[in-house]
Amino acid sequence: MIEDIRIISRRFDLPQSHTLAVARQHGAYQSVKTLTERTPESIIAAVEASGLRGKGGGGAPTGAKWRLMEGDFDGRPKYVVVNADESEPGTFKDGHILSKDPHLLIEGILLTCYALGAHDAYIYIRGEYYERQQILQHAIDEAYAAGILGQSIMGNDYRVDLTVHRGAGAYICGEKSALLESMEGKRGHPRLKPHQKEPEWYFGNPTLVNNVETIATVPFIVTEGAEAYRQYGTERSPGTLLFALSGHVNRPGVYEAPFGTPLMEYIEHYGGGIRNGGTLKAVIPGGASTSVLTADEAAQARLDYESMQGLGSALGTGGIIVMDESVNMVEALKNLMAFYHDESCGQCTPCREGTGWVDAILARILAREGSRDDLKKLLDISETMNGKTVCVFAPAASSVIDAMVQKFETEFLRYLDTGGAA
Amino acid sequence: MSTPSVTITVDGAPIEVNPERMLLPELLDKGFSIPHFCYQESLGSDGNCRMCMVEIAGKKRPQIACDTPIVTGMEIRTRGESIEKVRRDILELELINHPVDCPICDQAGECSLQDYYMEYGLYQGKVDKKEKHPFDKHIDLGANVMHDQERCVLCQRCVRFCRDVTHTDELCVAGRGDRSYITTVPGEKLHNNYAMNIVDLCPVGALTSKDFRFQQRVWFLATSPSVCHGCAKGCAIDIDHAKSKYHDDTIYRFRPRKNPEINGEFICDAGRLSYKETQTNLLKTCHIRKETLPEAEALDRWRAILTEDEYPIVVLADANLYTEELAALQAFARTLHARLYAPLEAYHDPAFGDDWLKSPQRAANSEGVKRLGIATEMPTINDNTLVINVNHPDGHRTANRIDLLTHQPDEDTGRVPARLTLPIAPWVQSSGHLINEDGIKQYCEQVLRRNDPIPTLIERLKQVTDEEYDKHFDNRETAS
Ligand SMILES: Cc1cc2nc3c(=O)[nH]c(=O)nc-3n(C[C@H](O)[C@H](O)[C@H](O)COP(=O)(O)O)c2cc1C
Ligand code: SF4
Ligand code: SF4
Ligand code: SF4
Ligand code: FES
Repeated sequence: MIEDIRIISRRFDLPQSHTLAVARQHGAYQSVKTLTERTPESIIAAVEASGLRGKGGGGAPTGAKWRLMEGDFDGRPKYVVVNADESEPGTFKDGHILSKDPHLLIEGILLTCYALGAHDAYIYIRGEYYERQQILQHAIDEAYAAGILGQSIMGNDYRVDLTVHRGAGAYICGEKSALLESMEGKRGHPRLKPHQKEPEWYFGNPTLVNNVETIATVPFIVTEGAEAYRQYGTERSPGTLLFALSGHVNRPGVYEAPFGTPLMEYIEHYGGGIRNGGTLKAVIPGGASTSVLTADEAAQARLDYESMQGLGSALGTGGIIVMDESVNMVEALKNLMAFYHDESCGQCTPCREGTGWVDAILARILAREGSRDDLKKLLDISETMNGKTVCVFAPAASSVIDAMVQKFETEFLRYLDTGGAA
Repeated sequence: MSTPSVTITVDGAPIEVNPERMLLPELLDKGFSIPHFCYQESLGSDGNCRMCMVEIAGKKRPQIACDTPIVTGMEIRTRGESIEKVRRDILELELINHPVDCPICDQAGECSLQDYYMEYGLYQGKVDKKEKHPFDKHIDLGANVMHDQERCVLCQRCVRFCRDVTHTDELCVAGRGDRSYITTVPGEKLHNNYAMNIVDLCPVGALTSKDFRFQQRVWFLATSPSVCHGCAKGCAIDIDHAKSKYHDDTIYRFRPRKNPEINGEFICDAGRLSYKETQTNLLKTCHIRKETLPEAEALDRWRAILTEDEYPIVVLADANLYTEELAALQAFARTLHARLYAPLEAYHDPAFGDDWLKSPQRAANSEGVKRLGIATEMPTINDNTLVINVNHPDGHRTANRIDLLTHQPDEDTGRVPARLTLPIAPWVQSSGHLINEDGIKQYCEQVLRRNDPIPTLIERLKQVTDEEYDKHFDNRETAS
């Protein structure tokens, strides 16, 4: 039996939960009141001790990332940027925070800024999130009016200003360095990876980029302590995650759960099982850029980083896409690759040309004009897209191709040999 | 300070490299052949083409050499089946939307893509896409630059040049993924004075010069190193010329020649296009006032005027003449007891100058003039003064004069016809040294050898001086 744990989603179900009044009634901004009585170091230490891992897909330890912001940097200003670009198919958890509890995010931003010595924060929000942006902006306006944001946050001698920056509809602008390029007014092309560990740079100034949910987890850790957070989840994946459940389940939606929860139990408990009592065929466990799991693999899977990695996939953003028997995997891969083809930023050759070529080959297979050679070609192109590009967009697409083609080869072969699906 | 050096191993052999640079430039300098599109010496690394992959011991995946810092003792492989397959596969992707119609492409013969294609033998690649993306062709980007989108490999060299070098930002990438293309930003055309350098920078046939395209196949061109005469900067150039069937030796283009001390790898557009002036409107016949006369008769006149006339004589020299020619004029003036001037004011052109290469002093050898101690002001000239005007732009004010000119005089300027006008060879048909405004001396070899050679200035002077005088200026090495 699954126990409901609500760290991030604790106010989600309250009526008018997005308003300052309701949020405050239910504990929002408690941690900020006496903020300057704490040392910034104590906040960083708590986040570090909590084992919090970035919830934007990569799962990088947040504390270590914050430590990269330590130091003087020749007196340059430090920035905090919240990644609310959320454009990956199957991933829609951050949108819930933005529309249901924007004050939790703002609280997290205040704590993060104080901890890192930043005074200016930005939220880069997906362009298509128009209504969410309105709700978020309203919350920010309320917070300014109440003296929570601005010159002296809740009476503390510390300034934090928060600005929302809207994206223009490119998935790649969720990649942190492309996001910053975009915020600098440039084309959203990811930057080359630095040669050593260092922060991100916004106009040449040290900058932290964290996911919405990562930042929204900070208030709990600061208020309740690192141990309280570690109480949930596993040793290597502490805490909880807002999993976004979609596909062929009875109750798609966003449900928070501790890391380590068995995947099938999660689907049963929150999703109410497979739609129409059907049979499970496959699960994409962590957003469109994670490798598909067969039903057998899904049965062994737990919702944590280590389990997913062990199965050759990844936890990603926790966007769980459930597929029942009705799904044609060739069509499913074509659908995914149409996305990658459309969204490749085009900066580097293997991805720019590879995604388009793969898409074209899949179209040919679907049109029953493919040959067995095409499967080899798909894997060959995928190999060239893997580990040879500027950012991990292409390697992600590559792992998606490999898993689909290898795990569901018979379905592809049926298209090639008999000219169509059964 | 000497450049630091560390030892690394490349393809099994130890080499000394400079650890302050990235791996790719060091390997290229050491003669390794590593395909690359986006890295460019003056523009640096960008890391977008992913062609420059090498294997590094201890790294699971191949790395781009252009963004790999050098570490002592690192072991690199640039050859071998696995790394060559990686390169071949990436190159193949580069070609998937490329027309590969080299026979009708103007870049053929100096195209990196074509070279790599041959090197990696992709004749039987797996390219199978029936429909290549429809891209636009012959787009006029402005400033004589034509763009052919389907040939573009999106290395962004052109964008980076306009962004990082000229800071004019006219170009950008538009579109996304494999529909990405290079274009000028909305409402703009290329408008910087160095735009045509992107034609040289473009590794493929995606950017061509409106002026040069389809004029000549590059493998017919001979190249002569020379120096631009457009201004006192004296940018180092290569002059491409060809003597094709039924045609005389003809210049097709100027290209920058690398010279880190002067112009790096670039030249201005005005200088680049100034090749035209070296072979149009040339003066080929001799004149008395406006009447042509045969060369032999003109020679008699030339001697006669100089020996018979008793006027005070002033020689006005073009400050574009080679140092050797100026020295010869100095000696010539001395024998005639004439005064020699090379008035520089006439070459001052503030509108031309900028804060990079273009100098407001348009004379190519103004510094050479000064170093020879030639007077640079305009003398007062009386009616009885005989002026020997050697191609000086302001040398035609008085009627009592002999003109030695490279180009046909412009009649519209109200110029008074000279008593005698003799053609002399333009600089591309002569040779000698120039000293640029920063004191750098460069040699220009004779580029064109025409079927109907025009006498050089030095040959002209010899026509009217005795043997003794000949000896005097044959010793011209001391003059430069
Ligand atoms: C193609 C691509 C898209 C991404 N999109 C997002 C996104 O929409 N939101 C997000 O938080 N992180 C996204 N990321 C991950 C970010 O680059 C970055 O790692 C993350 O924002 C860091 O925050 P975290 O450490 O809190 O997870 C994306 C990465 C890639 C490669
Ligand atoms: S891998 Fe794809 S998305 Fe990433 S930089 Fe290269 S082209 Fe752009
Ligand atoms: S036009 Fe030429 S220089 Fe510019 S991006 Fe394309 S290939 Fe590179
Ligand atoms: S800057 Fe002067 S010397 Fe250089 S190319 Fe232009 S005109 Fe010629
Ligand atoms: S030259 Fe290294 S990636 Fe282009």
